[in-house]
Amino acid sequence: MTTATLETPNQTKPAKQKVILCEGNEAAALGVALARPDMVAVYPITPQSSLVEHVAKLIADGRMDADIVDAEGEHSVLSVLQGAALAGARTYTATCGPGLAFMFEPYFRTSGMRLPIVMSIVTRDGITPQSVWGGHQDAMTVREVGWVQVYCETVQEVLDTTIMAFKIAEHHDVMLPVNVCLDGNYLSYGTSRVELPDQAEVDAFMGVKDVNWHVALDPLRPMAVDPLTGGSGGKGPSTFVRYRKGQCRGMQNSLRVIEEVHEEWAQRFGRRFAPLVEDYRLDGADYAIMTLGSMTGAAKDAIDEARDAGKRVGLIKIKTFSPFPVDALLKSLEKIQALGVVDRSVGFRWNCGPMYQETMGVLYRLGRQVPSMSFIGGLAGADITVGHFHRVIEATEKLLTNPAPTEPAWLNERD
Amino acid sequence: MGRGYNTIAFDAAKCDGCGDCMTACATAKTGTEDKTRSRIQIVGSGDDGFELALCRQCGDPKCVTVCPAAALTKNAESGVIEWDAAKCVDCLLCTIGCAYAGIALDSGTGHVAKCDTCDGAPACVPACPHDALTYITTSRIYNEVGGWEDLFTPGLAGCQGCNTELLMRHTLRRVGPDTVLATPPGCVPGMGSVGFNGTTGTKVPVFHPLLTNTAAMLAGIKRQYKRVGREVNALAIAGDGGASDVGFQSLSGAAERNEQILFMVVDNEGYMNTGMQRSSCTPYGAWTSTTPIGRGSGGMPAQGKTQDAKNLPLIMVNHRCEYVATASTAYMEDFYDKLGKAIEASKRGFAYLHVYSPCTTGWRFPTDQNMEVARKAVETNFVTLWEYTPNEGLRLTRPVDDPMPVTEYLKAMGRFRHLSPDQISHIQGKVVENLAFVKQMIHRSSV
Repeated sequence: MTTATLETPNQTKPAKQKVILCEGNEAAALGVALARPDMVAVYPITPQSSLVEHVAKLIADGRMDADIVDAEGEHSVLSVLQGAALAGARTYTATCGPGLAFMFEPYFRTSGMRLPIVMSIVTRDGITPQSVWGGHQDAMTVREVGWVQVYCETVQEVLDTTIMAFKIAEHHDVMLPVNVCLDGNYLSYGTSRVELPDQAEVDAFMGVKDVNWHVALDPLRPMAVDPLTGGSGGKGPSTFVRYRKGQCRGMQNSLRVIEEVHEEWAQRFGRRFAPLVEDYRLDGADYAIMTLGSMTGAAKDAIDEARDAGKRVGLIKIKTFSPFPVDALLKSLEKIQALGVVDRSVGFRWNCGPMYQETMGVLYRLGRQVPSMSFIGGLAGADITVGHFHRVIEATEKLLTNPAPTEPAWLNERD
Repeated sequence: MGRGYNTIAFDAAKCDGCGDCMTACATAKTGTEDKTRSRIQIVGSGDDGFELALCRQCGDPKCVTVCPAAALTKNAESGVIEWDAAKCVDCLLCTIGCAYAGIALDSGTGHVAKCDTCDGAPACVPACPHDALTYITTSRIYNEVGGWEDLFTPGLAGCQGCNTELLMRHTLRRVGPDTVLATPPGCVPGMGSVGFNGTTGTKVPVFHPLLTNTAAMLAGIKRQYKRVGREVNALAIAGDGGASDVGFQSLSGAAERNEQILFMVVDNEGYMNTGMQRSSCTPYGAWTSTTPIGRGSGGMPAQGKTQDAKNLPLIMVNHRCEYVATASTAYMEDFYDKLGKAIEASKRGFAYLHVYSPCTTGWRFPTDQNMEVARKAVETNFVTLWEYTPNEGLRLTRPVDDPMPVTEYLKAMGRFRHLSPDQISHIQGKVVENLAFVKQMIHRSSV
């Protein structure tokens, strides 16, 4: 299975679930509690703050058995977790925007040490211009650092994906850190009906924890972690190359593991999410728009309305952004003749959205010309409405007959 | 591993030749007050001073070698040269063999007699009214440490004459095998502690943290072992740059949270492993590769670092850590005492040790002068040795009441060679001011 459509759950037995009402940040915190990490390190930053506040309260109330470290900054947050993971702990944190930027030095290193740390990015636009509002610029900026990055569409998906993220990260074929990205403002504070899985069933899903079998700082099995490699020849560079190649292999393995874990989740809990790429009303479509994260809800409404009006348009949603799901996306792109890609961030070098830039590489592999165009919207918390998506649909439809513009279309420039 | 033994030491400057030691020895050994029968003899040195004639309990004793009757043997346990009356043939060859006049004919018995240290409690030592005699016990460290496992591998690649390797080996022997060791980028891993290309330089789990996050990573390790009920020491051996500059935030944060780790800074006053650049622990006036000497511009010559060093250990005192101390590689007894206390303190909370360790390469002095430079730093009060606990406050562990002028320290190395008289007087002024500041803190913390 490389693509999925949202259909009736085909669960084998009804899962025991409690229905609650909560915001995305609380849903993430509840998901973390269900995954039973040993250690959580936190530092507050808007719009992530209520997430770590919820985690702290869960621990204070005895509903979550984890050590919590109120570190003095994001750099130390991730560093504490690295140490804990090397000592065998399941670990979690969350950050965004400037916090992620400050964390970058240990962030880069986490994937190199193959530590299965899970970190939510409650996505926030990049400063400057100064802003505390949502946008994907933070997560996009670190997309080339070897972390698995998945984006959620709904509050329920935040909760479920947060739990799944631990299982994906700790899979022996992966052993990589995972970012669960939830849109700042829209998902972090958006309140929604959520089904809360039963702890015992989550425990059965998670299986046995095995975090530092491959690299450890443990006097019972002493080893040097990360000795110097490199040099101009001999054993040094080849050691380095094998490490890097292993990371790349782990990233590619994660595509399969993400699918397997999502499938198992659907079987056990009855909720099926497209693991890599979701096709929405793509069959019979001549062209499609492409989305990421919470904007997809409004986009699907616009697609429904456009279909009702006789337009032959569908939607492709990316859930797994890193590694980029090339094969899965190829299957979706095979169905269409033109494409409009909506990004919630910018790619400064190509003057387009980052997801558009990534997709152009996949379009090349398709082997035929598919006219395409980049749309940039939702920066700094701006809403991308159904109306905006109708404009995206119209502009994309024109690509079937007219030359594609080389400039991106900026959706919130005048509203 | 050889052994070191205790011995009686003599300070000629304090001796006035009163002979009380000889009386005490004669009393103890012969039951008379006949000084001629004393086994310790104080004799005139010819320049109005006095010299000591006493058995040195030599490691390679000539008296033993020359004895034809095997009446003299060295006790491997106590180190004392023992005389066996039953075997002695009274030939007196031993009295000729000894260069120290340490064995001589006892007129009262007709046999030779020599010092046996009164089984480790020599009667002469407490009898001296001027403290000219002391029973030296420095070899305790040598003997004790020699029995512990060296947890670094042989052949670490420190610079010639570097004291840091010695310090590291001593430290890890004492902290022991149930330890996770963090060595952030710098001389400590630079000489091979974490190894190269798949090898390791250490027998305990060891890692390179980032230069910036040593204390945070160690905190995570320690907390996880605590969580699962395992006693594991979390030890950092870091440089001054990674602690006082770019790593300061995580150090301060871990200290504020009172994480149960032992953080040791080896202060060689700069980024020596990277090529001797300035750190905030570099002292005023020092040449480094980023505070070079030159003609300057606008009539202002470049004369080394223009700011005073950051006093990191005092900053750590203000975190109210469980234990904070300064130490020097020239005073290992003092260091060991502090290391032991720091290990204990790290079981309760944050312990910080700041060890001044001269750098022969970066400070520009001959490779055989490291101990001498380290000692002069203390004896001029350029650095002060003290310890702090929350309950007992700050105290000097090795006060220097009559310090040498700071020039004795400065002229021992090339990095201060260019100093102007104004710069030297600035440094001397700071030495006085810094000591006054420490003493002020001693007063305040004891109130």
